[in-house]
Formats: sequence, C-alpha cells, structure tokens
Amino acid sequence: MIRLDGIGARYAAYMAALTLAVVAVALAAAGFMAFRQLRLIQGEIHGAVAAARATDEEKALRGSVSYLAGRLFNPAHQLDVERLWEEITLAREWLPIVSFAVVGSDRRILADDTPGFTRYGDLVEGPLPSLRSPAPLIVTRGKETEVRFLVHSGDVVAGWGVLVLSEAPWRGSLRGLEESTGALWAAHRVSLASLGALAFLVTLALGLVTSGLLSRSLARPLAEMSRAAAQIASGNLDERVDVRYPGELGELARALNSMAAELAAHGDALRSERADLARKNAELERFSYTVSHDLKSPLVTIRGFASLAENDVAAGAGARVQDDLARIGSAADKMHALLEDLLELSRVGHVVHPPEDVPLTELAREAVELLRGRLVEKGVAVEIAPDLPVVRADRRRLLEVLQNLIENAAKFTGDQASPRVEVGLREDPGRRVFFVRDNGRGIEARHLERVFELFAKLESSAEGTGVGLALARRIIEAHGGRLWAESEGRGHGTSFCFTLEGA
Amino acid sequence: MVSCRSSGHALLCAALAVLAASTANTASAVPQPASLPRVLRFGVIAEEPNEPGKMLRVYGPLLARLREQLRPGGIELQPLVVTRDLDELAGCLTRGEVDFVIETVFPTLALHEHGAKLASDLVVLRGGKREYHSVFFTRLDAPIRTLADLRGRTLVLQALRSTSAFALPRAELARAGLAVVPADDALASKAAVRYLLAGSEVNQAVWVLHRRGDAGAFNERDWATLPEKMRAQLRLFHETRPIIRGLLSFRAALDPGVRARAREALLGLSADDAGRAALAAAAGISRFELLTAADRAEIGSWRAALRAVGAR
Repeated sequence: MIRLDGIGARYAAYMAALTLAVVAVALAAAGFMAFRQLRLIQGEIHGAVAAARATDEEKALRGSVSYLAGRLFNPAHQLDVERLWEEITLAREWLPIVSFAVVGSDRRILADDTPGFTRYGDLVEGPLPSLRSPAPLIVTRGKETEVRFLVHSGDVVAGWGVLVLSEAPWRGSLRGLEESTGALWAAHRVSLASLGALAFLVTLALGLVTSGLLSRSLARPLAEMSRAAAQIASGNLDERVDVRYPGELGELARALNSMAAELAAHGDALRSERADLARKNAELERFSYTVSHDLKSPLVTIRGFASLAENDVAAGAGARVQDDLARIGSAADKMHALLEDLLELSRVGHVVHPPEDVPLTELAREAVELLRGRLVEKGVAVEIAPDLPVVRADRRRLLEVLQNLIENAAKFTGDQASPRVEVGLREDPGRRVFFVRDNGRGIEARHLERVFELFAKLESSAEGTGVGLALARRIIEAHGGRLWAESEGRGHGTSFCFTLEGA
Repeated sequence: MVSCRSSGHALLCAALAVLAASTANTASAVPQPASLPRVLRFGVIAEEPNEPGKMLRVYGPLLARLREQLRPGGIELQPLVVTRDLDELAGCLTRGEVDFVIETVFPTLALHEHGAKLASDLVVLRGGKREYHSVFFTRLDAPIRTLADLRGRTLVLQALRSTSAFALPRAELARAGLAVVPADDALASKAAVRYLLAGSEVNQAVWVLHRRGDAGAFNERDWATLPEKMRAQLRLFHETRPIIRGLLSFRAALDPGVRARAREALLGLSADDAGRAALAAAAGISRFELLTAADRAEIGSWRAALRAVGAR
C-alpha cells in the first residue's frame, strides 16, 4: 500500500487531477465527435430510406387505389351497398385501414367500414378528384394518410373512395427501421458511455498508481530529505537519508548527508573548542587569582622585611639587616621563578618548534639524565621501556613533558621505600597510551583532575610552583593529544598517561 | 360438396352425384343390397355464388351433428349438395340426388311448381319465432301511405326466391288487387306496381333512399337490423299477415324409414346444447317442429296466392 502524505499526497493529487482532466477532455471530445458522427449517419440513412420508401410505396399506394377503384365501380354505380361492404371488408385484410368510405355522386357516404353504416349519408367535405384531374389526393396527417380517389369507368363517375390508412406503409417500415436503429444507437451510446466510464476508471486507477509511483520516486524522497533536514536542524546530526536515489535526488541526498556530517564535525569541534575555552577561562581565572595571590605573597614578604630592615638599620642591628635582606632576596627569587614559569606557560601553544621524529625511549632517557641529581637524591629507580616508538613532535616541548612527569613522580614518592618510576606504552582500544607510572602516594579520585590546574598543589609543602603539570598538559594538547592522571587512590601510586596525534 | 345446375348441367350434376355416391358407397346405378347403409342427402341453394364455401360453413355443424344421430340407425348422411338456383335444386330433387331441403314457404312451393315432389314435414323456427311477416317502407317525405299508393310506382324487392322480400309482398299486393310487374316490362299497365331487385335488404333501403325506387319490402327482422341512419330516413306504411318461418321438406320418394328416422333426429337436435349450437349456426335455426294441419292449410292458401300472381 502506497502511503502518501504531505507533498507526496499533493503531488499525487495534482498528477491524478491533471491526468483525469486531460483524459476527461479527450474522452468528451471523442465521445462528442463519435455521437455527432453517428447522428449524421443516422440522419442520412433515415433520409435515404425515407426517400426510397416514399417513392416506392407511393407508387404501390397509387396502384392499390387504382385496383380498389376498379373493384368499387360496379357496386357503387349499381348502389349495391352490400357488395361495397364486402369490398371494404376485403380491403381491410390487406391494407392498414383506419376508415374506408365509398362516397356517392352526391358527395354523401354510401357505404363505410362500420358494421352499422354509421357514417351513411354524411357529407364529405374538401377536395375530391375529378375526371379532369383523376389522380388520387394523398394527404398525410400525423401518422395517418388519407387517400381520396375517383371511382369511375371512362367518363362515368360512380363516386369516390375515401381511405384513411393508419400510416403510409412505408412510414411504418421507416418507423420500424427508426426504432431498430434508435435501439442500435441507444445501445451504441450506452456502449460509448460504458467505455468512457471504464476508460475513466482505468485512467483514474492508472493515474493514482502512476502518481503514487512518481510520488515515491520524486516527492517521497524530497519529503524524506525534508524530514531529515528538520532532524538535522533540530540537532540530530546523526540523521542520514537514503542515497540510493538516482540522479539529482541522489546528489541532493549525498550533499545533505555530507552537510550533516560536516555539521557534526564542526559541532564536535565547536563543542571541544567551547570546552577548551571554558577550561581556559577557568584556568585564566585561577591564573589571575593565583598570580594576584601567589605573587602578592613574596611582595608582602619583601615589603615586610624591607620595613624590618629599615627599622633594623635605624636601630643599628646589622645582623638582622643581613637576615632581612636575605629573606627579601629569597622572596624576589620566588617571584622570579613564578614569573618565569608563567612566561613559559604562556609560550606553550604560541612558540612551536618544527616537529621532528623523536624516539621516545631516547627522549625519556635524556629527561632522566637531566633529573639524575634529584632522582638519586630521592633514591628513585626509573625504568624506561626500550621499545617506545618514534613520534613526530616538538622535541624540546616533549622533553619538558617527560621531565615534568618524571620529576613529579619523584617528588611524590611518599613513604615508599623503593620508589620507582616506569616510562612505558600500553595499547588501549584504538589508541596507544604512553604513561609515566610511579609507586608513590597516589591521588584520590576527586583530585585526579585538579592536579593539572595552574599553581595547584595538593600539599602546600610540596616543592615547585604548581605550574608543571598544567604546562605538560598544554604541551600535549598542543600536539593533538590528551594528558590525564590515573590512580586507584592514596598509597597505590599514580600513572600519568598521554596520547599523541599520529602515534 | 356436390353442385348441380339446371338444364344443360343436369347430366353433369347427375354424374357428379353418382360419382359422389359411388365414392361413398357403391354406384347408385347398381341396385343396393339391403345390407348396404341407407343414405340421406341435404341440398341447398347457394346464397352467394361468389362465396361457395359459405353454405358449408353455415350447415356444416348441423350436418355433422345430424350425421352422428343417424349413423347408429344405419343411415349415412352424404356431403352437402349445393345448387346454384331453384331450378337446379328442383332437378336434383327430381333425380333423387337430394333428399331433403330447408327453405321458406314460397321457394318450397316454387320447387313444387318446378316438378319436385316434396313432402313438407317440419316447421323451421328461426330466432325462436315460428312465423314472420313482411313490412313495406318508404322515404319519410314520400306521399305513400297505403299499398294503393304504390300504384304506378316502383317497389324495390330483394330477389326472386325470397319469401319475405319478394313473394310475400308480391302476394300481398296481388291480394290488394295490384298488378306487379318487372320494372323493365314495357308492355305493362302504367297502373301496375313495377319492381326492381336490389339483391339485399340493405340495398333495398339504399335504393329507396336514393330514389331509385319509391318503396321497398322485406321482413320485420330485416327492418330491425337495418342501419339506424337508414331506418331514421324511412317509415313503414304496411305489413303483411304472418307466414311460417320456414319448412323442412323431404323428397316424396324417399324411403319412409329413412324419412321417419331423419325427422326424429332433426326434432331431437334441439334437445341438447351441442345440437342447439349446430342449429343456431345454420342461419339462426332455433328448432324444428312438426307441421300441423293448420300449417298445411296456411301453406295451401299461400300456394293459391302464388298461383294467382303467376309467379314462377
């Protein structure tokens, strides 16, 4: 069952209406022409038959009248009414007589066809043939034909015959012909009407089926694509349309699907950028807060010790002045370190070194080498997987990442008697994950993300500015990868994992 | 049907009758053994020579019924003998080719005059009437009031053998002392009543109305059945005394046994519906009755009247 709605239904209705209108006009025109032609043929046949019959039958009628006149002469002349009655009775057997009267020479009826001679003596009005013009007078009135004929022999006139026939015989034949042809025409008209009705119904059925098929092939895909576009517009970017349609419809479907895919991609990118922007805004807020807070702290220290140094100078306490100046210097160094880290952080993502092939095993060893003093001091053993792949990356930045992660691991060994750091690679579904794993104090799940915040320190006594992990994440993200922390909680160590685009 | 003619055709008629008889039984020229069935033949005069089958249609049912009645008595009713006129019928009777006839009084008397030996046994009742009479009529505007007014005028009659429309009026005129002669009789007295023969009752009326004659005469039943428009233009001015409606007469030489048996059968025809229907078909016969002495006396008087006018 073809289901039509919306544009499909309208399209089908338009097509059906158009088809029906065309067929109806064609049928009406053909029917009118056929009917008119039939009427012309009928009229011609009627006329031809009438003319032929009229000629022949009038001759026959005149012959019959002549015969009757001969039969009637003697009895009329002899006033033999009995014999006239017999002749009239005989004539009724072979002529369609309505009335028959024999008129005497006094123009009064002598005998007629009624059993009681009811018209006897009636005067006959109107013209009657005479010896000078003896031809019968034939007058047709409606369906009846009156014939007045002279009954004479030579110059002797015995009277007249007045004969009324129910109709001229030829008219009867003609009427029969007309009735039969009329029935034929009527049957023909019924056939034409039936044929027209059948053609109409067939056309209607064909029109509906054709319209339905056309609707399926044209309008329905459009409707489907319209619905898909609406779905896409409402945000369902996974909506797709069937691209098997031929020609322009297929191209349109493909374009729609392509548009949906691009919109989805752009949407993803937009959402990602929006998340990134939100994260950066948060980071910036924290940065502003941290900067204002953490930079304020050394300044307060410097300001305080400067005031103390002023007092101590005034008091002449040279030893305390030295101590005050040392503290002022330390606070200034701290501020310098903070500002350096901030500067470095701001550079990440803006200053990009040309990418190069970087063997990660080698790079990890280089990082360990740079941190050797601290690692030895902490007694941390570092194990580097020997088969780490070569990746295409900014070598210096990636080295900073590994340094930060290994240093961070060495920093939080906790109570571990045998602190150990492992640099390796694992295969997750669809991606390769590099990790720097330690067996240190671990991180609670609720802090796994916080450690990447700028200046974030889970322990206030911890060394450093709290910028390292934030810096590492930004570098990894600048390489199209991700950096995150995994830990099963305190005492279970921590794994810092990252991916790299193309790795 | 066997038809006989008078004079020149008598021999042929006889031969045909003989042939017919021989076809039915054996040759009549040969004396019939007593064991052979006896025969009876009915003869009529054709009223309309142009329609020979009419008499067969009229008398066919009657003869069929009569044949059924006679056959158990060993009498075989022969086919109807149709003759052309009175002379021919008289000849057939004389030669024994017809055994009985049904006629009105005057034709019956005429048959006697023509030599046929007849014995009238039964009266024929038609329309339930035993007798009828003739009426004289003329135009409404005619000055004729009595039979005497017909003197020197023309009377339209039907046919020579008609009782009511010829013989009876003629006898009535004779009884009134008027001479009646054919219209074309150039030697007749101017005072005589001249007659024309119109051939039928309705023609008689028309001829009178068209002044071809001054008056006419036929029986009262003809007057009653005359077309209304004609009767309205005519008036009656005289009627005759009644006369027996008809007579059934046997050939005088017919075997008495056959005659008696036939008479008995004819009288019995009106006893049942089938017989009455057959009788009615025969020109409206109601039944037959035996001729009484009074009837015979009346017939005798009419015979005298007939002879008085010298009618044929």
